[in-house]
Amino acid sequence: MTAPRDFKYVGTRPIRHDGVDKVTGRASYGADAAWPGMLHGFVLRSPHAHARIVSIDTGAAEAVPGVHAVITGKDLPETTATIALGEAAIDLRDIGDNVLAKTKTLYHGHAVAAVAATTIDIAREAAAAIEVVYDVLEPVTGIDRALGAGAPILHPALVTKGAAGPDAGGPTNIASRMELKRGDVDAGFAEADLVVEREFRTPMVHQGYIEPHACIARCGEDGRAVVWCTTQGPFVVRDACAAIVGLDPANVKVVPSEIGGGFGGKIVVYLEPLALALARKARRPVKIVMGRDDVFRATGPTSGSKVRVKLGAKRDGTIVAASASLWYEAGAYAGSPVGAGAMCMLAAYKVPNFFIEAYDVVVNKPKVAAYRAPGSPIAAFAVESVVDEIARELKIDPIELRLMNANAEGDRAPYGPKYGPIGLAQILEAARAHPHWRAPLGANQGRGFAVGFWFNAGMNSSATVTLNSDGSAAVVTGNPDIGGTRAAQAMMAAEELGIPVERVRSNVGDTDGSGFTDVTGGSRVCYATGMAVIRAAEDAREQLRARAATIWNVSKDAVGWENGRAIPPAGTEKASPMTVAELTAKMTQTGGPIVGRASLYAPMAGPAFGAHICDLEVDPETGRSRIVRYTAFQDVGKAVHPSYVEGQMQGGVAQGIGWALNEEYIYSADGVMENAGFLDYRMPVASDLPMIETVIVEVANPLHPYGVRGVGEVPIVPPLAAVANAMRDATGIRFTELPLSPPRVLEAIEAAAAVPVEA
Amino acid sequence: MARVHLPSGLTRHTGGVETVDVDAARVPDLIAALRDLFPQIADRLEEMAVAIDGEIYADPGYQPLRADSEVHLVPRIAGG
Amino acid sequence: MVAIRYETPRSVSEAVRLMAADPGARVLAGGTDLLVQFRTGVRQPSAFVDIKRIPELMSIAIDAHGLRLGAATPAAVIGEHAELRRLWPGLAESVRLIGSTQIQGRGSVGGNLCNASPAADTTCALIVNRAECVIAGPNGERTVPVEAFSIAPGRTVLQPGELLVAIRVPRPAARTSDAYLRLIPRTEMDIAVAGAAASVTLDAAGLCTTARVAIGAVAPTALRVPAAEQALVGSRLDEASLKRAADAASAAARPIDDKRGTTAYRRTVAGVLTRRAAAIAAARAREQGSHP
Ligand SMILES: Cc1cc2nc3c(=O)[nH]c(=O)nc-3n(C[C@H](O)[C@H](O)[C@H](O)COP(=O)(O)OP(=O)(O)OC[C@H]3O[C@@H](n4cnc5c(N)ncnc54)[C@H](O)[C@@H]3O)c2cc1C
Repeated sequence: MTAPRDFKYVGTRPIRHDGVDKVTGRASYGADAAWPGMLHGFVLRSPHAHARIVSIDTGAAEAVPGVHAVITGKDLPETTATIALGEAAIDLRDIGDNVLAKTKTLYHGHAVAAVAATTIDIAREAAAAIEVVYDVLEPVTGIDRALGAGAPILHPALVTKGAAGPDAGGPTNIASRMELKRGDVDAGFAEADLVVEREFRTPMVHQGYIEPHACIARCGEDGRAVVWCTTQGPFVVRDACAAIVGLDPANVKVVPSEIGGGFGGKIVVYLEPLALALARKARRPVKIVMGRDDVFRATGPTSGSKVRVKLGAKRDGTIVAASASLWYEAGAYAGSPVGAGAMCMLAAYKVPNFFIEAYDVVVNKPKVAAYRAPGSPIAAFAVESVVDEIARELKIDPIELRLMNANAEGDRAPYGPKYGPIGLAQILEAARAHPHWRAPLGANQGRGFAVGFWFNAGMNSSATVTLNSDGSAAVVTGNPDIGGTRAAQAMMAAEELGIPVERVRSNVGDTDGSGFTDVTGGSRVCYATGMAVIRAAEDAREQLRARAATIWNVSKDAVGWENGRAIPPAGTEKASPMTVAELTAKMTQTGGPIVGRASLYAPMAGPAFGAHICDLEVDPETGRSRIVRYTAFQDVGKAVHPSYVEGQMQGGVAQGIGWALNEEYIYSADGVMENAGFLDYRMPVASDLPMIETVIVEVANPLHPYGVRGVGEVPIVPPLAAVANAMRDATGIRFTELPLSPPRVLEAIEAAAAVPVEA
Repeated sequence: MARVHLPSGLTRHTGGVETVDVDAARVPDLIAALRDLFPQIADRLEEMAVAIDGEIYADPGYQPLRADSEVHLVPRIAGG
Repeated sequence: MVAIRYETPRSVSEAVRLMAADPGARVLAGGTDLLVQFRTGVRQPSAFVDIKRIPELMSIAIDAHGLRLGAATPAAVIGEHAELRRLWPGLAESVRLIGSTQIQGRGSVGGNLCNASPAADTTCALIVNRAECVIAGPNGERTVPVEAFSIAPGRTVLQPGELLVAIRVPRPAARTSDAYLRLIPRTEMDIAVAGAAASVTLDAAGLCTTARVAIGAVAPTALRVPAAEQALVGSRLDEASLKRAADAASAAARPIDDKRGTTAYRRTVAGVLTRRAAAIAAARAREQGSHP
């Protein structure tokens, strides 16, 4: 156990270090860079969701005055490597094919060529002059079509990986199948007094980060290249670009810009290899900026899904059996988060008998990318809706039912290992005790409750803490700051060094200026990179003790450290405690500069749970609904900067509410997305949401010196079900398909009114 | 002996065996032992995260094992 | 590469001359429709004729006859005009629904009409208030009722060289008021799935003597619904007559199925909004009656 510790800075709310630059517009984002001699790149995209590329003629485009380079799939080498980048292996052949189609286009908007010219208008005009001959194929527009008889096949060589089902073998759109089981499901269901089974569907949705993808790249005659881009993972960009474009990673430097949101969608590369390949060919820097329509059509959303869930419970509420089948759309290439969905869906509950199967299905839609707790919200929507049904049927309070079945420390997670300390019971109790749970509801209002789980990643992190002669410090890590991590890291360094947090500058390094660091993602930065910062600050502090020892001419072991000061051993003549500033003032005389450093590979952080209460009001005549109150409870381990923890919770809830109420990719029959803009892809706007209340619960994570867990992903997991459960409460109708848009809700209300009520 | 729990998806290739006891000081020894025991799942082992006494390592590297360690092989997960 | 001219006429006649001389030129008011269409490649004008430097297009005048609204006056200016809001609360509401604070800083009622979207928010409110479009062109000035101004999605009666100069709205009779409602899934920054406006006049005894009803986003152009008006006239605007008006509006709607809503949904909602808008207009008219 971590000993309880009195913190000076951790748990306070200082102004974030990057705040002024961001609110004044001084911060530089992906599209803000301009380099001398720069060209503008434009990407030509497939007008067909599924087609074979017969030929591409770039002659006319190359002849347009002002055009400096045109590339097609032929300009990129075939890459077959699968390298571990970040948390999961990335198949570079797929990524290479995704950034520029080689033989087939697999979704509407798939890049087929790119042009660099002196202006964007020339580049656009030249792209229009590229002649691509397509052999148009029938698109696979969803899971049912992908699995149906005679379905078109996206990848003729695809075989189902994993525990293949009985119908494996032959051409398929099922990229993988996974199973998870425990106990004897049939016996479990036989024991149940109540069995509830439902099938759920959710559409593809996008992360909706405000900043579109953008980059600028240059590549010299010597093969040395620099890429400036908006990314969650500069090292991923470096390694992926080098492999896709055919450069030595040692020659590629990636400089991350400020980032306007990512949520998992800015981990993989899209434009960067194209800008690099164009820059190499043109011998000039090339800048490419996506429009919002391209962001929707050609970058990774998260999966559309079909999930069937069956739960069995005893009359007293004990859940005794579960079975589930999950099908997630991977988009054009294998790799949906369906496995994570399967592993998360029962994470909250002690279920002695279960069987889960999970299918990764390729369809002619953009290749999915990570999106905040990838896979978990979809699975939670299904399970938490069914748990709600059980609570209703058995007339048990939904929080009581969950408490009764809640996993605790020492219980086995559905994916195997035993849980360490987890805060599930604590958040459930906090929710039960909260006034929101008992507040009266108005007319046409309903209340829903749901819980959610996420693993939280660990992985590689590096940090340096450099001391200046005035006693201030500079922290450098390799994680782009998305959610306020600069502030959190400065606070952790301040805590260890005992200097004011305002005296710590927090920096995001580029791939040459910081040690290897995995992505800003997986809720890992405050935990894993934070741990590296703490250790780097400890390293600097140990060096300060050694310097004090030199000054006092005592052994280092004899020097104490308290409240940011070196303490001389008792009885040392003429020695009094020295502050950091006093010690750094003498750095030159005591051995030179002080740089603390640390790098580490962290195990996955402690898993975390969230519980949400949602009140919703529906207009029964129009089906339009409004969230009237929302409270999110979460075990965060330790909130280093509570404001940013609350911000993460509120942001996750906002995205989850959007997913539940109005967001969806709408496709035409020929596989064209019809709503590729924020007007018709209806993300919530600020005025749609009430102030989202947050309740932070802290159950320390023993893997982190302060007890930090991951925070950023859990809060998007419960809202889909919390909103749907509130809708059930308000209307009496169980919705199993998202989004709960006004037309869908009104149709169901009218259908329910038309059915005679049974006695 | 570390007790290793195999993921349920792999047990059809292990003749239904769900847990095995393996004498291994570190993760590479353990993986090698499993490969010998179950050649059919050899290539799948590379893609697995390893949970050692509840701590999950996406890449377990050379992590040491205790004599009574409980080990789970777990599919890798991507975060956002 | 194409070069685009940007013109800033200072008078209506200069604007008409510029427009007549170049068939590829387009009027630029707030640009909140036009520049979006330009950026997405939907429209590629040869020239932008910016009309915001023409004083008479940027003004609001209210006299005994009624309102004269300069076509390019920004929504934000209209929304802050107390007298306009008092006399035509429903019209003011429709203007204040457009986009967001930023959009209202630029977007105009003239632009809203000339863009000719069936979902444009001000059209229905203008129709129920008997508004007219004042049009200037190479052959002089003419006026067209708002309900006849748009002839199809994206198309108006404007001829080459013509521009919309002002919108005229007659002063409402005693005990008359209006209301406009629209349905969007969100609270702002969205486009009407259906909209409805109503204007009613009551006699001293509270009977409805005249009524105008118009519905939007449910047909290629905004529709006046005479059957709904007839359902209201002669009634006390009680639940039963409001319900008849709602049914008439639903029956008159000819919506399409698209990404923004299904046919059945839009039809139902057009009725619901008609009923609610008429009820609000009635309450406002009664309120006026109570303090003469
Ligand atoms: C984010 C966003 C939200 C929006 N929300 C709404 C909404 O809620 N409701 C709604 O109805 N609309 C909405 N709109 C659309 C738009 O803002 C409105 O239609 C607005 O009233 C247009 O006015 P404008 O002055 O900007 O027109 P402009 O874009 O300048 O012009 C529109 C069209 O009319 C022509 N034109 C303009 N003035 C004249 C004139 N005097 N004579 C002849 N032709 C003319 C132009 O050539 C152009 O074709 C929204 C737009 C955006 C970008």
